Amino acid sequence: MLRWETAAAWTVLLAGGLAAWSVAAATLPVPDYFLPPPSAVLAALGDLLAKGILPTYVTASLARMLTAALTALVVGVPVGLLLGMSRRVADFAYPLLNFFQSVSGIAWLPLMLVWFGFGERTIVAAVNYTVIFPVVFNALLGVRSVPRLYVDALRTLGASRWRIIRDVVLPGALPSIATGMRLGLAYGWRALIAAEMLVGAHGLGFMIFSAQSFHLTARIMLGMAVIGVLWLLLDYFVLRPVEQATISRWGLVQR
Amino acid sequence: MTPGAGAPGGPRATAAAVARDSRDGFASGRLAAPGGRGAAVRRQAGMAARGAAPFAVLVAAWAAASAARLVPELFLPAPAAVAGVAWTMAVDGSLWVNILASLGRLLVGIVVSVPLAVGLGVLVGLNRPLARVLEPVAGFFNALSGIAWLPLAVTWLGLGWASVTFIMANTIFFLVFFNTLVGVRTVPRIFEQAVRTMGGRRRHVILQVLVPGAMPSIVTGIRMSIGFGWRALIAAEMIATSTGLGFLIFNASNFHQTDTIVAGIATIGVLWLLTDRLVLQPLERRTIERWGLVSSS
Repeated sequence: MLRWETAAAWTVLLAGGLAAWSVAAATLPVPDYFLPPPSAVLAALGDLLAKGILPTYVTASLARMLTAALTALVVGVPVGLLLGMSRRVADFAYPLLNFFQSVSGIAWLPLMLVWFGFGERTIVAAVNYTVIFPVVFNALLGVRSVPRLYVDALRTLGASRWRIIRDVVLPGALPSIATGMRLGLAYGWRALIAAEMLVGAHGLGFMIFSAQSFHLTARIMLGMAVIGVLWLLLDYFVLRPVEQATISRWGLVQR
Repeated sequence: MTPGAGAPGGPRATAAAVARDSRDGFASGRLAAPGGRGAAVRRQAGMAARGAAPFAVLVAAWAAASAARLVPELFLPAPAAVAGVAWTMAVDGSLWVNILASLGRLLVGIVVSVPLAVGLGVLVGLNRPLARVLEPVAGFFNALSGIAWLPLAVTWLGLGWASVTFIMANTIFFLVFFNTLVGVRTVPRIFEQAVRTMGGRRRHVILQVLVPGAMPSIVTGIRMSIGFGWRALIAAEMIATSTGLGFLIFNASNFHQTDTIVAGIATIGVLWLLTDRLVLQPLERRTIERWGLVSSS
């Protein structure tokens, strides 16, 4: 789908942007730390790679994210499905889940600091919380959004309860689960960066935040670029394909 | 493709809205039930009661757990203690000051960014080659939006009001811009050509095809941006200012005042639910009903 004109336009845009940035950094009457040139950011990249800081921090952040994603998949999805099975339970759980998913994990961070102290456990707890609630909530919504008609149709044909869950409820809920995962991880990634800033263990959030105190602006910009690129890669190559696949395969294109 | 599918969270808002409606249909069938105004009011009261009951159960369980001393008072204060602190803060005014500070920043972010983002989004969306080039750029800044800008904002603007507002405005701008762009770009060309064939001018195409066609995506973008913005705001307030709900709870944690923290968390949650229920959901429902592509049936 990538047209060569578009690719050429990106190249021009990128080159122009970098050139304008370099010129601005060289000519604007501001202190160096205000706007370091692109070359400084590149130098920071080389420096942090050579010292091994960047790989360590990227690994730390990604490992925390992976923990949260796995927890959400292994715990969140089944819990959401179970809660959604019964209408009464779902009606009861819906407002609570809606409340807890709308309070971000970062808002719980102060309480978690009291519970777990300044450390890894607090960060992991805050990120897990942030990811899991949208997942549970959307799994529940997914189950409830399966049209009654399909359940009844299978039941009329004599299907067992397990058959109904396997062939109707689960596939019907999958698009919603995929959307929940994507939203939860998008919130979670930001919560992770914020938690790393506030708690101050290692990680990308900590890297850019601590760089600020020393006016290492090039390092901040590098960290931001890494944060943005990592998320884009995750989104384009993992989350979005999964979501599109489930929606086109099982989505309820009701007519 | 669903409008706005490119943003983080993608079509969730729309999907969730659809799911919510079907959920109600599935659960009770009441939304479709005919009835006058009185019936509607009764229905709403019933729904409110059903929504409040789980919270009553939760608070009761929490009170029982505290009374039984299952967890230390320092870790989880009793509901009565939290209510007491909330009452004290409400009486001495500090709660309202912090609420107003947070909501004020949210409002400034919305007022500054939404019109700018929608305007620019439509303008760029009109030029398809340009839109194709800028979409990934907007996507990148979208992925980056929020708290990751804070260190740079503090470097440029210092600690305080300006940095926090910058974070808000930035988060809201890129999400709305991106969704507007995608919305305008994904309006089926056939509608545009139909208007052209019938002698419509560019102005007609913009005002009667592209903007209405992009509306559901724009509103989805606005809703998501406010969700992301609100979260970014709480985090930014913890770091960069000395007012607002984020500061209130983070500062309280330095003194291990868990009752204040829990009261603050509850306030944050309630404020969001109110915004969502009273502003965002009606807005979204209205646009999707009015302009959404529900034409397949």
